[in-house]
Amino acid sequence: MGLLCSRHKRGNQATTEENDQAAEIERRIEQETKAEKHIRKLLLLGAGESGKSTIFKQIKLLFQTGFDERELQSYISVIHANVYQTIKILHDGAKELALSEAGSSKYELSVDNKEIGEKLSDIGGRLDYPRLTEELVQDILKVWRDPAIQETYTRGNELQVPDCADYFMENLQRLSEANYIPTKEDVLHARVRTTGVVETQFSPVGENKKSGEVYRLYDVGGQRNERRKWIHLFDGVTAVIFCAAISEYDQTLFEDENRNRIMETKELFEWVLKQKCFEKTSFMLFLNKFDIFEKKVSKVPLNVCEWFKDYQPVSTGKQEVEHAYEFVKKKFEELYYQNVTCDHQDRVFKIYRTTALDQKLVKKTFKLVDETLRRRNLFEAGLL
Amino acid sequence: MAGCDVIRGCPSDYVALSVAILSFILLLLRSTLPFLIYKVPRPKGSSFWLPAIQIMASFNVLLSLVMSLNVVRFHRRHWWQSCYLWAVWVNGPLGFGLLLSCRLIQAAHLYSVFIKRRLFPIRSYISLPLTLLPWVAWAGFLHIKQPLNNRCHTGTQWAVLYTCFPVLYTVALVYITTAIHHTEFKFHELKDLWRGILVTVFSIGVWVVSYILHETHEEIMWLQVTTRCVLLVVAGFLVVAFFSISFSQPLVSDMSLHKRRSFNLKTMGEALGIPDSGILSQDDPTLDVVPNEPLDKLLLNKRFCLSFMEFADSCLAGESVHFYNEVQQLEKIPINDPVKRIYMVRHIIEKYISTGAPMEVNISHKTRQEILTTLDLAHPDLFRNAVNELLQLMNMNLAKDYWSSIFFLKFKEEAAMRSVDHELEQVNGWTVSPRPSSVRCPDDPFYQDHVPRDPPSHDGHGSYLQ
Repeated sequence: MGLLCSRHKRGNQATTEENDQAAEIERRIEQETKAEKHIRKLLLLGAGESGKSTIFKQIKLLFQTGFDERELQSYISVIHANVYQTIKILHDGAKELALSEAGSSKYELSVDNKEIGEKLSDIGGRLDYPRLTEELVQDILKVWRDPAIQETYTRGNELQVPDCADYFMENLQRLSEANYIPTKEDVLHARVRTTGVVETQFSPVGENKKSGEVYRLYDVGGQRNERRKWIHLFDGVTAVIFCAAISEYDQTLFEDENRNRIMETKELFEWVLKQKCFEKTSFMLFLNKFDIFEKKVSKVPLNVCEWFKDYQPVSTGKQEVEHAYEFVKKKFEELYYQNVTCDHQDRVFKIYRTTALDQKLVKKTFKLVDETLRRRNLFEAGLL
Repeated sequence: MAGCDVIRGCPSDYVALSVAILSFILLLLRSTLPFLIYKVPRPKGSSFWLPAIQIMASFNVLLSLVMSLNVVRFHRRHWWQSCYLWAVWVNGPLGFGLLLSCRLIQAAHLYSVFIKRRLFPIRSYISLPLTLLPWVAWAGFLHIKQPLNNRCHTGTQWAVLYTCFPVLYTVALVYITTAIHHTEFKFHELKDLWRGILVTVFSIGVWVVSYILHETHEEIMWLQVTTRCVLLVVAGFLVVAFFSISFSQPLVSDMSLHKRRSFNLKTMGEALGIPDSGILSQDDPTLDVVPNEPLDKLLLNKRFCLSFMEFADSCLAGESVHFYNEVQQLEKIPINDPVKRIYMVRHIIEKYISTGAPMEVNISHKTRQEILTTLDLAHPDLFRNAVNELLQLMNMNLAKDYWSSIFFLKFKEEAAMRSVDHELEQVNGWTVSPRPSSVRCPDDPFYQDHVPRDPPSHDGHGSYLQ
């Protein structure tokens, strides 16, 4: 990270100015090297669509300057893309299901909607999406409200329907307004697969205070092909924030539709735990998407997932949700302790229940994470 | 006094043994040196395993001949000197049989890709044992029937049956080779196939002749000694001449034949002679970039594409751009040249699409399966869905961060320097890029003095790369 400055001087300048500048550069290098040592490296790891980038966005909102108008506007194309992609997935999914269940007609769209559906599917397959207009919105809503599509949506776990589908469809009118500027909630719901590595630096006490920890947070892609890049980030990590979406127990991977998402997360978590470079690294497990988990548990039993096949429901309603959550949490705890050796005795391991879309919850959770890491830091410095 | 012809260990035997050892060393050099010189990463999947198994099988052939012909004199008989172990098992299913089976599968792959225009549907770890099954069955049968005498020799009818196997496999190899011989291969696959067949036929011929001589002139001792020596030397020659990497790594095999012009491996585009696929030249046009233009149009300009590629590589997301680039090269190959297209397609699939590929791209399961199970590798729209998905990904992910990165600034500076008037555009609306190659951001807690921000003057690569 050298500060190598090669500026072209216009004409001959006095040497004192050069010396001043050189001294200034030296000072800055020194400052930075000193500062680097105090920066705590955090990694956001997890399988695809587990909520890592949403947590990343939340950190920007909470501890940095947030999103300015330009950035918010740049999300409009993403949100519109999500809408088109959703409707395309549902339409194509309905066609497939209609073919595979040739007898029943519940996945057959009505005659008028069929044509509109084909048109929208075509648009969804293009590279450049048109901006959402009133007419397109009406078309999309017609298709969305078609019983065949709603029936397909109930089987959305077999297709790759994004979690934001419901939210965007409900707010479709607002999204298509001419002077639409995405709200914070819209931005948090917007789904884009991350590729490569993204980083940000922040301090939990706020940007104006000078004291306090400085964290450098790295966000990565979660799909299988992205994981070979993780290894470049594994040195000197203070804490790994592992995101596991617990609502995905009946869904399959984007990159491999023959593999259950929770089983993949389980294997991935084990792999991460076994890495040599993480012997002293703290692990924060975020059991994410609790809001979706709450709604799903009463409709889809946990034992559809192989790892949870010994689950027995005991009651109904909120109690059942809590019971199911505790079951899942225990499974992850057991998994952690199965993969712990004597080298890892001092390692910190905490589990948090999160909903990455909920700003208050993420703020609270992060404050707890920060506290844990500060205590750990003091402990390691021998002061505790 | 028993001569060396009876108790083994004649000088000619040791000469033959050294020839065999030298041949094996030569084989190892031939197979590994090109990779070491050009620093090519180890290939994955059957591209690595089939040649590796061939090398192992070659070693087994040589070793089994040394042991079963009793070329080396041992002072005691050990249990592992059993004739059946070497002459039947190691020589057959683990040696010569394995060699022929590997080559048969490689030829079948070529047939499937270039004639049937689809990827070979059976995975190698299933097809190889299946191909080897007859040899294993035969070895088991021999082991049960025990027709070998204590000099490791069989009767004529067993020998005839034993020769049937290599002959059958060679016939199958000839059949597949003639089916593909009209294809215009760009690398010397056909030459290597014919060479393999010829040396095999030659070796079988030598084996048959030596067997006949042994049966008819058992009493002539020097003949025995000579045939032993000849067999081992021919086996050494076989293993070296049989081996080829042009099936699995055509680019590497291509470079190893020419005089080394540079230490850089050619790209597939360059090897196939696709225009404009090499490095940047002075004549490449610059581009007046407008950030709102669609990315696919911008990427048509070579300088922009290279700048964008560098940026993507710096944040570990380069594979999408490289893939896009190579698909563009593929599209320059005319439709009426299916062989070249298939080479390029196969190369792209092995590098970017196969699970576990070195630069695997981020595409959906459906798209990947569509490509891997396609019935026409030369189809012009094979990669359309994948390209669309990745352009979407690049658009929504990388493009935003690129405009505020140091690479774009460098690109604009270079473009400005190259243009007639040297007005440097004002960089308006400078925003922070979250990618590691960005300049310092205003909320950096260590920017305590409000030093006016200078034009970027430091190395923009992310600190995590150190």
